[in-house]
Amino acid sequence: SSAVAAIRALLGFLKQDRGETIQGLRNSLRDAIDTLSRVDSSVAVSSGGELFLRFISLTSLEYSDYSKCKEIMIERGEIFLRKVSLSRNKIAKLCHPFIRDGARILTHAYSRVVLRVLEAAVESKKRFSVYVTESQPDQAGQKMAKALRKLNIPVTVILDAAVGYIMEKVDLVLVGAEGVVESGGIINKIGSNQIAVCAKAQNKPFYVVAESFKFVRLFPLNQQDVPDRFKYKADTLKTGQNLTEEHPWIDYTSPSLITLLFTDLGVLTPSAVSDELIKLYL
Amino acid sequence: MDLIRTEGQRMTAAQPSETTVGNMVRRVLKVIREEYGRLHGRSEESDQQESLHKLLTSGGLSEDFRTPYPSLRANVIEAINEMLIELEGTTDNIAMQALEHIHSNEVIMTIGYSRTVEAFLKEAARKRKFQVIVAECAPFCQGHEMAVRLSKENIETTVMSDAAIFAVMSRVNKVIIGTKTILANGALIAVSGTHTLALAAKHHSTPLIVCAPMFKLSPQFPNEEDSFHKFVSPQEVLPFTEGEILAKINVHCPVFDYVPPELITLFISNIGGNAPSYIYRLMSELYHPDDYEL
Repeated sequence: SSAVAAIRALLGFLKQDRGETIQGLRNSLRDAIDTLSRVDSSVAVSSGGELFLRFISLTSLEYSDYSKCKEIMIERGEIFLRKVSLSRNKIAKLCHPFIRDGARILTHAYSRVVLRVLEAAVESKKRFSVYVTESQPDQAGQKMAKALRKLNIPVTVILDAAVGYIMEKVDLVLVGAEGVVESGGIINKIGSNQIAVCAKAQNKPFYVVAESFKFVRLFPLNQQDVPDRFKYKADTLKTGQNLTEEHPWIDYTSPSLITLLFTDLGVLTPSAVSDELIKLYL
Repeated sequence: MDLIRTEGQRMTAAQPSETTVGNMVRRVLKVIREEYGRLHGRSEESDQQESLHKLLTSGGLSEDFRTPYPSLRANVIEAINEMLIELEGTTDNIAMQALEHIHSNEVIMTIGYSRTVEAFLKEAARKRKFQVIVAECAPFCQGHEMAVRLSKENIETTVMSDAAIFAVMSRVNKVIIGTKTILANGALIAVSGTHTLALAAKHHSTPLIVCAPMFKLSPQFPNEEDSFHKFVSPQEVLPFTEGEILAKINVHCPVFDYVPPELITLFISNIGGNAPSYIYRLMSELYHPDDYEL
């Protein structure tokens, strides 16, 4: 995913850095993260970068000798990358028991984590069918449907507007997340909030799957609070157009609409998310 | 640890609905891990749980329990004895908190028979005067026994059928119930009829208080909803003497009910009162994540 690639890039940057001080290193890393966000302003890149920076600060506190510190950092960075690549499998293992035989699942847009979970469910011999929203404006749902058909799962692509109509037929809703915020809510492709509201109205469980590096230090109280640099693509922001004419790419779903979050740290209720974030940043 | 785990698996396989067996096995495993960690020289601060922090700072990927320590066995046995003493005192601990929650001239509703709730109400009755309405909880009608025991302590008790729960709820101040198991998301597995009671309480905005000791907290999630259920002979629902109809209908007699966490106001346990959203925290203190699957 893009966040993993960003972290790998930062690690490579770290290896090549010629500075002699921690302060210098932090500054140059911050510049690197800024550059990355200017190219691809997704939430995951930002949270991954922030996590990496935090990881540098934590390590620097333990060792005072700079060169030794750098060695340890590089070693831990490699371990971190390895753990992160295993996280998708961990999540799939946690989540697939929640998919019962004969279930009808609704999902939104294209998410590799959700794909992995459904793959794991197929491997454990469960039969289920999937409804995918088309997810305009980039038709990401069609991509998801194609990938699911390859796994021999019966798929139906529905209009984004048909979510309310289809909700009564569905047993559970499973979406990925681009970012998980401190309140336990999620930032995901535009349309997720609608699905969550419909699911709540019809009493259907709304499950979110996300890796732990997507946890972000944001606390939006409403849709307006989500920073513009996440809502719109980086090039749109650069051209400086009037943003009221632009369509945002993501929205915020509040924690009261989410039933459970599946992460590589375990199955969490939305209230447990802030606890995890505190454990890291305190 | 493997020995305990295999024994635990055997015991839980024998009766899956008795989750306390599995819970205790997990507690013992956690105790062993802690004692080992203490002897291994790790500081008290270091967290054994998965966390973002650990993701960044830990050196290796797994932990090795192979180093033998002679005093480990004695330490573990001592810790288990402490746990036994704690277990024996749970009902009293819960009952001690009764006075804070029950006030004079209140109408309390409960369902079925729970020893914890009985002790809770008896303790409060020593200093306060209140009324109790007991739903009889068909088909086993354990509510009758509860009512008899409460009235022996001179508590004004009324028994009514489960169908009347909603009708009477508007006059009730609090609902206090016991439970069989508490699940990891804060939900309950309690006697059949509790979900109805919880929904009625929610509708009238009556607080629902659950009195349960911590050993009933189980790290399972309600995923396979059919797997935790226990059905008993439908003799109570429709006796075998009604032979003619029996061939034409299906009769079920489920013992347990699932109550979702949104309907519960407070959990009172031997370690104090907690909100359902806090259950995950209590769970991380009692059990280690690797032991969730025995």
